[in-house]
Amino acid sequence: MALLEVRHLTKRWPTGRLALDDVSFQVKEGEILGLLGHNGAGKSTIMGITLGMVRPDLGEVRIGGHSVQQTRGRALQQIGAIYEAAVFYEYLSGWQNLRVLCSLSGWWDEAEVKRVVQMVNLTRAIQQKAATYSHGMRQRLALAQALLPQPKILLLDEPTDGLDPEGIREFRELILHLRKQHGLTIMLNSHLLGEIEQMCDRCVILKDGKKVYEGPVPSQEKSKRLYLLETTDIGLAREVLDRSGATMDKHGIVEVPLSMEPHELVAALVGGKVQVNAWQPHHRTLEELYMGLSSKS
Amino acid sequence: MILFFQQWYGELLKLFARRRTYIGFGAFVALEVLLLLLIKKYGMGPIQKAVVGSGQSFDYYFSAITVASTVMGFSVFLLGALFLSLVAGDIVAKEGEDGHMRLLLARPVSRFRLLLIKYLTCTGYAFFLIQFLAWSSFALGLVLRGWGGGYFAIVPEISVVAFYDWGPGLERYALSSLYLGLSMTTISSIAFFLSCFRIKPAAATIGALTYILVDFIMRNSGFMENYQHLLVTKYMANWGRILAETIDWPLIWRGYAVVFAVNITLFTLGYAVFESRDLKS
Repeated sequence: MALLEVRHLTKRWPTGRLALDDVSFQVKEGEILGLLGHNGAGKSTIMGITLGMVRPDLGEVRIGGHSVQQTRGRALQQIGAIYEAAVFYEYLSGWQNLRVLCSLSGWWDEAEVKRVVQMVNLTRAIQQKAATYSHGMRQRLALAQALLPQPKILLLDEPTDGLDPEGIREFRELILHLRKQHGLTIMLNSHLLGEIEQMCDRCVILKDGKKVYEGPVPSQEKSKRLYLLETTDIGLAREVLDRSGATMDKHGIVEVPLSMEPHELVAALVGGKVQVNAWQPHHRTLEELYMGLSSKS
Repeated sequence: MILFFQQWYGELLKLFARRRTYIGFGAFVALEVLLLLLIKKYGMGPIQKAVVGSGQSFDYYFSAITVASTVMGFSVFLLGALFLSLVAGDIVAKEGEDGHMRLLLARPVSRFRLLLIKYLTCTGYAFFLIQFLAWSSFALGLVLRGWGGGYFAIVPEISVVAFYDWGPGLERYALSSLYLGLSMTTISSIAFFLSCFRIKPAAATIGALTYILVDFIMRNSGFMENYQHLLVTKYMANWGRILAETIDWPLIWRGYAVVFAVNITLFTLGYAVFESRDLKS
């Protein structure tokens, strides 16, 4: 079931630049969906529209069946978000920051706040002023505020931006733990391929405001059987593969159809007088997919 | 309703956690002390002349209330507008600039409610600051002149001159400070309205101060005599009519109806501007 639906979003900035061009996709319950794209591709604009901070020219976002554009308050009750940079009131303590933010959701449960603060590992620093926090601590406080009060969906807008490698790893593990423990649905926006690859089940790739891909993250693709074929007879190989129902891209990566076994395909190639120099399993990376889509468009 | 007060508490927590909020109070006290020292050293020349010229005993009317009234008048004129527009000019624009607005609006709270809370906070601050000013001036006046005496009330711009004994004088002083507090909410409203645009907080502060100053100058320059009804400071000055021997309540209420109408209009326009904005860096 789709918990979050993005429907035909189109947005043009007052400067005339087209930020989004008829983008639609869904985030299913319990999945982590990555939004990927270059800077200015429209990722944050989708986040902004989802939170009702940016108005689309066309289209809408529905959360749990409620339209953000029509009934924003009801729709946002199910969401926790880190949107753009984690900016807090420097002159307030972490605890006071959480109090101010939770009051806007009409909710305050001290025990639950303490539990979440402990979960993000901020218990010792929570009474300190936010001005004294390191970047990593700010991100953890940002995550704490997003988790209060118990959202169904988390929107994370470049959450590891500016963190050191240890911080990124810690943050990633925390998110994956949350998903496992609480079954959270997550929409993650990032331009870091590795981050999307390691955390997401599916991804949407944007380019210049257009959706150019929606599907599984390649490393999560269980159903596709990919092999790398090395041959000097490319034309002939393509003919044989076409006859067998397989496809080969320009890098020699062959997708074996489910109807046949890989060794049968090799036999067909050899039988078709194709000189097979190498045939080995291939795991497509997100980078390959992304770069392929970029060069295509 | 409880939720509204919880959210308002959050806004007040932010306001009173900032050092700058207290600088306003501290600066006023410093200015009051300075004015008091000047009064102690040089006396109250023009006021003394006015009292004696009216055939009254200056010593009787040189009281804590008269001193407080004079000190309050100067303080509001010199610093009041500046601090109120500083706080109100910051309240939306600064949060927008710093990115706090995006943090707040990621919550299921409407822009209207958020702005209403902020508006009530900055106008409440205006009212509270004026009351603080009135009663801290009075406390300093007591230190200088002690309890008792008369009250010589003078508001030249609306030609109010009156003499009171201690009890009625104190009542008039308290009532006029309440109405002055209400008048000053208009300065906060102007700064708040400008703060709703996508501008620097300082621009909202300067814009509000400029408007009030130009309005004030035009009202007192004479050539706008036939257009006084268009100038907001004319209606804001109605607090002084409380000090007249016979209070013209219909005139005062009419004036405050205009003040409130201006405030509500500025809030509504500010909200309309803010509502139409896309909040994205």
